[in-house]
Amino acid sequence: MGTARYIARRLIFSACLILGVSVILFAMINAIGNPIEILLAERPGMTDEVIESVSRYYGLDGSVTDRYFTWLWAILRFDFGTSIIYNQPVSEMLVTYGLETLKIQIPAILIALVVSVLISVMAATRQYSRLDFGVIAGAMLGHSLPGFFIGILLILVFSYWLGILPSYGAYSTRNMLMNSTLIDGLWHMVLPVGMLVFFNTATLTLLMRSSLVEVLRQDFITAARASGLPERRVVFGHALRNAFIPVLTYLGILFGVMLGTAPVTETVFTWPGLGALYIMAIQQLDYPLIMGETMIITFMLVGATLLTDIAYVAIDPRIRLA
Amino acid sequence: MDTPIVPEAVAEASIAVPLRPPGLWRQGWYRFRRNRGGMLGLGLVALVVLVALLCPFVAPFAPNDQSAMLRGAARKAPDWVHLLGTDRNGYDVLTRVLYGASTALAVGLGAMAVASVIGVIIGGIAGYAGGLTDELLMRFAEFFMVIPVFVVILAVVRLFGIVVVGTWLESIPNLNLMTIIVLLGCFEWPPIARMARAEFLRLKHAEFVEAAICIGTKKRDILLRHILPNALPSLIVLVALGIGGAILAETMVSFLGFGDPKAVSWGQQLHFNYEALKVAPWAVLSPGAAIFVTVLGFNLLADGLTDAFNPRLRR
Repeated sequence: MGTARYIARRLIFSACLILGVSVILFAMINAIGNPIEILLAERPGMTDEVIESVSRYYGLDGSVTDRYFTWLWAILRFDFGTSIIYNQPVSEMLVTYGLETLKIQIPAILIALVVSVLISVMAATRQYSRLDFGVIAGAMLGHSLPGFFIGILLILVFSYWLGILPSYGAYSTRNMLMNSTLIDGLWHMVLPVGMLVFFNTATLTLLMRSSLVEVLRQDFITAARASGLPERRVVFGHALRNAFIPVLTYLGILFGVMLGTAPVTETVFTWPGLGALYIMAIQQLDYPLIMGETMIITFMLVGATLLTDIAYVAIDPRIRLA
Repeated sequence: MDTPIVPEAVAEASIAVPLRPPGLWRQGWYRFRRNRGGMLGLGLVALVVLVALLCPFVAPFAPNDQSAMLRGAARKAPDWVHLLGTDRNGYDVLTRVLYGASTALAVGLGAMAVASVIGVIIGGIAGYAGGLTDELLMRFAEFFMVIPVFVVILAVVRLFGIVVVGTWLESIPNLNLMTIIVLLGCFEWPPIARMARAEFLRLKHAEFVEAAICIGTKKRDILLRHILPNALPSLIVLVALGIGGAILAETMVSFLGFGDPKAVSWGQQLHFNYEALKVAPWAVLSPGAAIFVTVLGFNLLADGLTDAFNPRLRR
């Protein structure tokens, strides 16, 4: 029962967060200028009649508060309006492009998690050894390498110099690899996923190692060892579970960073996802698409935070009391 | 009352030794000096600062010198004239990389200055006042923590660039860069506010603060002269981390082509040369390496500062 109440409370809080962000975003964009005027700035030569009908069509007429509530009511029904440049419902586009983005980000964070657990177990169980220092140094270097620069390096090495992996796009335009859409798609995913894995692994390893080192010093680990458990079970069964708790918060943050910087990742790899779509939207001043994208990314961020909060309860029973 | 028994030698020694123990900062420096990673970070940061200050004297060419284009020497591989080669616009890569340092530092320091002011004011008020004020301000900070900052900055920079056309704002030099700096500052304050709140909350009940209240010190002096200086070490770690983050963010904004066309920045170099990656990789690798060194420097520095000022966290 405690768990259900906890989750319910987090859900309500998440809804409030989304509401708050929607107010801040809307206020900010509208503080810069009236959207219809911004729209027209780079599309000169329209008559007043056209302007009026366009602003009515895209729901850009009326006072700011009116527009906010109309917009809020619409997004609650997952209706983000019609894209100006693509003339398609924004919600459909968000789903199509969003899936492409998640297709590289979710595998990346899962692979990074497994890899960083293995590396940090190796390092933490041999604290202050050469391997340990090597891991710390490597993770620190990797953590400071800008993600998109890793991507550029990967393209340079694997696409241009070695010529073994595709440098752009999600699919081949002409001949699919082995005539299979699936294999061709996976083939194109290697570099973007590789870049995100590299970036996430470095950060996660830094955190996981220091957390693990601290847990391994605690009394219950000594007790577990003293009771005759094999070291493997002590580390993977007892220590890792406890070391994982601080890392969990960071998983949500990392996902947010990945999602937030998707425009950069997807520009480097010309990946047809939310980020690339967003760049297009702000270049062409597609107001409904800009608002829709920022909101959907906020939804996903809040969703990820909510998931980590719920996962907390599953891993750490102490949270229930709070 | 018992008179404490003090051996004469000890009593004498305590008179001979100056009674003032090393201060917070000096202690921190003692610990920082022993941290190799931190010192390396300090060295890298010093190098970047030095380059930023000296670039007009050490750079082999003028930053806007495109004359290589006329000689048909654009996209030329590194040689003795152009140590890091030239890019597709005929710029000398080394010169642009050196000049980029000052832009990067301006962004990092500027953004974190804005963020620190907002963060310390909001966090300080929340921590010191407590109660409902605290609750409201911290909830407000939480909204800012879930906003997809980078995405929003891109949109605001682009839209703002349209609105200013034809207004007095246009006459501000490097307006675009200023916008990015202020925006980064306006979004990066929540972590600082949280830390400031925690520190103000802790120090509010410290004995020396209570003593200051007892002797009737003015509230302003308590906040600015007693609490704030003691909260600074923890805040400085976040600022150092934030500088690296802000530099990275500006680089990404510029890489996507929304940067300041008038500023010489590493991100812009990447933006203009990324398409020619296959032909002239040196024009991309050098600014990329410069970003890496700078961000690494600030990350290591922040790491060393954490160890120096929060020794309990030391692992």
